[in-house]
Amino acid sequence: MTGVVEAHELSKWYGEVLGLNGFTASFGSGITGLVGPNGAGKSTLFKLLIGQLRSDKGEVRLLGEDPWNNVPLKRRLGYCPEHNQVWGWMTATRFVETLLRLDGLPAADARTKAAEALELVGLTKAKDRPLKTYSRGMRQRAKLAQALAHGPEVLILDEPLSGADPVGRVHILRTISRFAREGGHVLMSTHVLYEIERITENIVLIHNGKGIASGNLHAIRALIDQHPHAVRIATPQPREVAQALAGMDHVVAIEMPTADALIVRTRQPDAFYRELPEIVVEHRLDVRGLESPDDSLEAVFRYLVG
Amino acid sequence: MSISLPTYTRREGPLLGRGPRVRTIVVTGLRREFKRPAAIFAIGIGTAITTITAIVFVLLAPFFLQGQPLDLTFFYLPASNLAILFFVTLMASVVGAGLIADDLDSMALTLYLSRPITPADYLIAKAAILAPLVSMISVLPLFITPLLGLLLGLFPWDIALAAMGLSIVVGLVLTAFYTSIALFLSSLTRRKSYAAAGMFAVTFGLWIPAQVFASPGALDNPSLLYIAPWEDFLAVARGAYGVSSGPIDWPLALAILLAATVLAALATYLRMRAVEVVTG
Repeated sequence: MTGVVEAHELSKWYGEVLGLNGFTASFGSGITGLVGPNGAGKSTLFKLLIGQLRSDKGEVRLLGEDPWNNVPLKRRLGYCPEHNQVWGWMTATRFVETLLRLDGLPAADARTKAAEALELVGLTKAKDRPLKTYSRGMRQRAKLAQALAHGPEVLILDEPLSGADPVGRVHILRTISRFAREGGHVLMSTHVLYEIERITENIVLIHNGKGIASGNLHAIRALIDQHPHAVRIATPQPREVAQALAGMDHVVAIEMPTADALIVRTRQPDAFYRELPEIVVEHRLDVRGLESPDDSLEAVFRYLVG
Repeated sequence: MSISLPTYTRREGPLLGRGPRVRTIVVTGLRREFKRPAAIFAIGIGTAITTITAIVFVLLAPFFLQGQPLDLTFFYLPASNLAILFFVTLMASVVGAGLIADDLDSMALTLYLSRPITPADYLIAKAAILAPLVSMISVLPLFITPLLGLLLGLFPWDIALAAMGLSIVVGLVLTAFYTSIALFLSSLTRRKSYAAAGMFAVTFGLWIPAQVFASPGALDNPSLLYIAPWEDFLAVARGAYGVSSGPIDWPLALAILLAATVLAALATYLRMRAVEVVTG
């Protein structure tokens, strides 16, 4: 076993529910995307990697070590959980500082590092606000800040882009890319393939607890492009946003299911995600969050697994 | 659109040991408790009522014990105050029940355990949050009673000093028991209301039936009182303050309280060592 992560026949049950089912994969250095629909087993795999779940069967190694109850290994990890409701009463500064203190940093160092990490994710202006007043995207950035702040070797990011606004996404993706360029390893889960495509070509596809494909993603791009990709945009100006997006060639449908959201279906998700921030800035639109319902990815997975 | 980012730097340098990390959990926990109205109420009202009651006991001491010497046995009276039983249980329920259960429910445990924190560090910190708060009800009033008696000149200094020392010991036995049981119950569930109900069940669910069945009209067996933690505590207090008569013996009562405390702590430790943080 030589990769950053090595998993062999890894299985995890929650009572009678199967979380992972004989998952086997090897993640190398740099950025690796773990892509799969909700409930595929991504969070279970990450919890096994950070030693917060114990496998029922099989073997897992992170940086060559067994993660279960491995306290020294935790110094080398930065973990960004999917859950968003933690410690809402704390300011972002206090949140990151507290977790740095738990790493063993002296108070003064923790303060400095927290400020640096919050600057890195673009939260300096909002750093003294309680987390409960943050948008979902801002909380994602605060969580990324705490994961980065202590200088880990490996970042494990569970759906870090979920609910993030366009500018926040740019911040998060650039931060992750920079971390990897400087020698860090990143494992990042998503149920939206196009999110991860912008920063890496190394992906592992997971479905029903099994690794169904891994390696370069271009091979499955053609398959995926046959299925229009849905993006849900949270905005108080759905009509204005719809007007601005209607001119994009690859947008095949726009729906307005509620007064504060619209769903856009596009045949070129990568172009859509690339162009959206510019359109938002150019038209001065109030876009508060992006989410991708995973039905389009589900269709691809159904195709792949037969 | 252009966004510039500062350079990421990997940290290299000495890290602090276990103590500061544990203190961080304690400080975080205390900050959270002092933002919760229910916790503030339990701490404030519990401490006020038990302390005021203790002061009243001292002020009325000459009337309580007319014609009797004011010796060490007097201090059994404030120790047996039912307000202590109620508010210690309330404090353990309001504060203690949520200490682990809330972390499990909110997934804060995921963040704690993603850091170099051992289950023992985590539990020591949680105990360090609850124990001082429980002590404000189980130790403070018992300590204030002889102190005030000394200051008012009601008790000779040697008796008052002995009473103060014994009060700390007796109060800490109760503190340790309730801290340990509260953390144990809290570790069993994500719902603090279940753990809180468990605290009341341990206190009153054992005490009331024990009283009923031990009475002469029922089984007439005082040994049944050993199953009630409050009766065990009263026996220990009687032993400490030299009160001779009592339905159960203090050595066995003390052994039961300490054994329950240690077993609950051990069970909680083993539970936290094995706990798996499942995404809710």
